[in-house]
Amino acid sequence: MAADNTFIQEYSIKGWDFTRAGEASCEIKNILKQIGVSQDVIRRVAIASYEAEMNVVMYARQGTMRCEIDTTKIKITIEDEGPGIADIDQAMQEGFSTATPEMREMGFGAGMGLPNIKRNSDGCEVTSVVGKGTKVAMSFNL
Amino acid sequence: MEKPRHSIRFVEEKCVGCGTCMRACPTKAIRVVHGKARVNDERCIDCGECFRLCPHDAIVSETTSYADLEKFECAIALPSPVLYSQFAPDVLPNQILLALKKIGFEYVADEAWDCELTTNALQEYLDTSEGPFPKISNTCPVVVRLIAMLYPNLVKNLVKLEIPRESAAKKFRQKASKSREIPPEKIGVLHITPCPAKMISINHPVGLEKSNLDGAIPISDIYGRLLEALKNLEEDIVLQLSSGIGIAWAISSGEIMGIRQENCLAVSGVHDVIRVLNDVEAGRLNDIVFLECLICPDGCIGGSLTVQNRHQARRKVRRLVKMFGEHTRVSREMALRLYRGGYFNLQAEILPNPLPPLDSDPGKAIQKLKQRDKILMTLPGKNCSACGAPDCRTLAEDVVLGQASIDDCVFLTLEKLKRTA
Repeated sequence: MAADNTFIQEYSIKGWDFTRAGEASCEIKNILKQIGVSQDVIRRVAIASYEAEMNVVMYARQGTMRCEIDTTKIKITIEDEGPGIADIDQAMQEGFSTATPEMREMGFGAGMGLPNIKRNSDGCEVTSVVGKGTKVAMSFNL
Repeated sequence: MEKPRHSIRFVEEKCVGCGTCMRACPTKAIRVVHGKARVNDERCIDCGECFRLCPHDAIVSETTSYADLEKFECAIALPSPVLYSQFAPDVLPNQILLALKKIGFEYVADEAWDCELTTNALQEYLDTSEGPFPKISNTCPVVVRLIAMLYPNLVKNLVKLEIPRESAAKKFRQKASKSREIPPEKIGVLHITPCPAKMISINHPVGLEKSNLDGAIPISDIYGRLLEALKNLEEDIVLQLSSGIGIAWAISSGEIMGIRQENCLAVSGVHDVIRVLNDVEAGRLNDIVFLECLICPDGCIGGSLTVQNRHQARRKVRRLVKMFGEHTRVSREMALRLYRGGYFNLQAEILPNPLPPLDSDPGKAIQKLKQRDKILMTLPGKNCSACGAPDCRTLAEDVVLGQASIDDCVFLTLEKLKRTA
């Protein structure tokens, strides 16, 4: 990606900040609308980035969401400082969740987070170190 | 003459350029240019926030006036159920309908009944729909415009049923034309409206080739006359056909009241509607079957052309719902027959109408975005709106689009002056 043709924006996300949760992914969505990205891609980015943002809000202390857009690709990287994921393959399965009863009460924790990100993106890579944090890198082709 | 593109108009002589309207506009459609408010027609969704707040009466609604009744050989009134909520506790819907007759409408139809009929159709529609969910109510013309413009992805979620005021207008025009033996075009079907936006859905309908209504008269316009007429009603016939189910359409969650599905959600007020549509777009509300969105606070009783404060009005609606019951008076079989016979079919497709990107070339749009953020960094971030844009970010965007100058910022200009002094 040539730096001068790439739009880069970084957002910080705070764990347990439910009042502002979803703002970063909403911002990204608005940016894509201003660039004129197709509606289908916008829809997929909106869903996937929201899921990733909520994962940070629910499980991590804090994190960042970095968004890089050029004319061929959208790359969104979410990195957090949190508990990490011991078994990524398991976490990628639909219905698997470690959400607490409180989170479930708020309507989260259906175990669709990571699978939803995978399904809606064109590329998705999850790396994690237990006790340190998780990195989710997703991309969308334009 | 071309019909106005919007249901509200700015009166330049009265505008002092205070920017109250601009700051309230949810789609950032207004700027103050040379001391006067200007609306970008492309961005305006007719929500009426500006109309509601203008302290100088410089914004007027482009609705039908009572005097226009004379234009028609026969006038039919189709009052929004909101009208029933605007009078003293002891004034009942039937009396209000009789009063409408007395002030000059030859026929008066209880639109609440048609709302009730639509509730039955909606039930069937939701039962048989294959998604995408949530289905979003299409009764508020502003919500339909908001979705087409800012949430084009959600256009396919909009309910595809003709709205009650349109289906009722079609039916009553035919009826009156037959019984009066005059051509349909000599008949005026007029909605009695709580908000100016109904007018735009008549002049420029979405989901219809042409509206079945001839106009919309503000509740506030005929209120005094109705109060007078209510004092001595001579006629005593039954005009009200609706139960509480139809009357409830006046308030937020009213469309849901008569529906069996449990997973329904009602949201009102422009900012809450925007918030919930963001949630829908993020896939947050897939478990909801039906989402009622109304742009005015608390629903149509919060319309800017009403006379009663909306809290009182809501109390009245609840009272009426209790009084006339939550059991529909519409025959379910008839509703189903009409539904299957195409009575509620939309005549035209609702199309997405997204705002244009910063540039038609994505590469250039990215450049402009970067430029915008660069400019934004130099602005003070006070969002004072003295520049004529609602906030710093919008000014930065206007500068990039060549529609404003960075020198419009009073803080930057002051600094510049201090440096040169």
